[in-house]
Amino acid sequence: MSLIKRKPQRRVAVIGAGLSLFMRRALDTGKELAYYAASQALQTAGIRLKDIQAVVMATAPDAFDGVHMKGEWLLDGAGGVGKPYLRAYVGGGSGVFSIISGWMMVASGLFDLVLVVAEEKMSSCQPHPQGAFLTIFDHTIERPLGPNLLWIFSLEQQRYMAAYGIRNEDIALVSVKNKHNALAHPAAQVAAHLTVKDILDSDVVAWPVHRLMVSPISDGAAAVVLASEQVARRLSDRPIWIQGVGWCLDTSYWGNRDLAYPRYVEKAAWMAYEMAGVTEPRKQIHVAEPYDPFAYKELHHLEGLQLADRGQAPEDLARGRFDRTGELPSCPSGGLMGVGNPIAAAGLMKICELFWQLRREAGARQVPGNPERGVAQAWGDLMQIGTVAVLGVR
Amino acid sequence: MTRKSITNVSQARVWRGTMPVQYLYTAGVAGERFFQTLRRKGVFAVTTCAECQVTYLPPRLYCERCFADLSGAWAEVAPSGRVHTYTVVHEDQDGRPLDPPQVVAFVRIDGTSGGLIGRLLHLRPQDVQVEMPVDAVLAPPRRRRGGMDDITGFAPRRVLPRRRTP
Repeated sequence: MSLIKRKPQRRVAVIGAGLSLFMRRALDTGKELAYYAASQALQTAGIRLKDIQAVVMATAPDAFDGVHMKGEWLLDGAGGVGKPYLRAYVGGGSGVFSIISGWMMVASGLFDLVLVVAEEKMSSCQPHPQGAFLTIFDHTIERPLGPNLLWIFSLEQQRYMAAYGIRNEDIALVSVKNKHNALAHPAAQVAAHLTVKDILDSDVVAWPVHRLMVSPISDGAAAVVLASEQVARRLSDRPIWIQGVGWCLDTSYWGNRDLAYPRYVEKAAWMAYEMAGVTEPRKQIHVAEPYDPFAYKELHHLEGLQLADRGQAPEDLARGRFDRTGELPSCPSGGLMGVGNPIAAAGLMKICELFWQLRREAGARQVPGNPERGVAQAWGDLMQIGTVAVLGVR
Repeated sequence: MTRKSITNVSQARVWRGTMPVQYLYTAGVAGERFFQTLRRKGVFAVTTCAECQVTYLPPRLYCERCFADLSGAWAEVAPSGRVHTYTVVHEDQDGRPLDPPQVVAFVRIDGTSGGLIGRLLHLRPQDVQVEMPVDAVLAPPRRRRGGMDDITGFAPRRVLPRRRTP
């Protein structure tokens, strides 16, 4: 059954990308971080703010920056003053949803040039941004039991391991790969050369999740410029096309979800693939940036994205299939585990990475061959949304 | 089963909750320079976009209209301006009467496109006038900590003798 009514008429391209440093505690305000990324994206697109017709800002819960209605507060840093402006917000999925929102604005014919910015300043939230997550659970049924996100992820990882007979060593390899990939990323916060033993020697936060299997608290911003086909061809000799987008939410009762397999990611992926004309993802996708806030999540999401068989992603990882030089490079950027995780900005960072990889501008991170199509994915809301974008060179 | 509605809201049982987080904010690159200048020199640091002819107070690192980089476009202005608008506050946040009532103004700072909110000091509510010139009353230099508390409020500018703000 088709997941989309009809293929959109207008094509949309990414013509510029920008990124701030990702760091533990920035002196810079969220507005200033957003400005660095946004102005860099405009510069690489060869345009000025006055050329931009509308702005999308993605930023996750207000409770991180500690400014209620922070989307509006961040307006000037995102270049949105005096323009149609939209805050795109689906929790952790916001970074990839931001480009989906911008794509809708251009594909619909409303605008030809849209600036998409994502920001998060998590260091403001004390004693730990986890505190802001304590209140995402149902106030009467769940909160009296005291769950936090780490419990939930540990329960999910354990179910994934039990369902397919996966060992924690297999999952720790994600941290090793991504932190190593991030050594080549100039904006990276937690790049390192580590072994599986180092990962498993780090503190157990909530078994089976060790500290080095969790992405860090980060401050940072990312941005891209989107253009309609006609404008993209005029402004850029190497536009990167948004070939397909998809998103899907599972039930908000986490206890009613399939914990071993993210069905909502599968549905979002097929929506994007259908739009992109992708029928055999493993052959037609050449580089992937799945969401990796926890080590096991990259594997979970690779399976949801149809890039590995269910329960087989750990084995594929172990034999090098997802290495930067492997058959299907996954998180060549270094991902959230290596570059850092300023929530919404981390998702858009993945889009930036596809842009640079597909233009062959990724420098030391460049995947070999001639990648023609990539997929980026983020995950969030109440651990229930998959947001997917397929980008390609034509 | 019919659905019964609660007609007396006091019968509804409630669960109490809090969002248990606190915050550590930074002033930012531009904000830090503004406060250090205020603390050391008792003047306001501002940035100017020459192209848009806007002088930002509070200062910004970038022009919000054209995105020009203003990190090298700093200047300093005296902490004085004019009452742009004002209000007389008679009750505090919890509805308790304020005696005497407090006069709060938005002061446009001379030579800038912006301004600050502050208490108006040393004058009676009936004597406040829109556009009246005022000077910032700053905490003594040794007591300044580089925050908004360094500005105690604004007071009518004295004509003669001109007393310089410390």
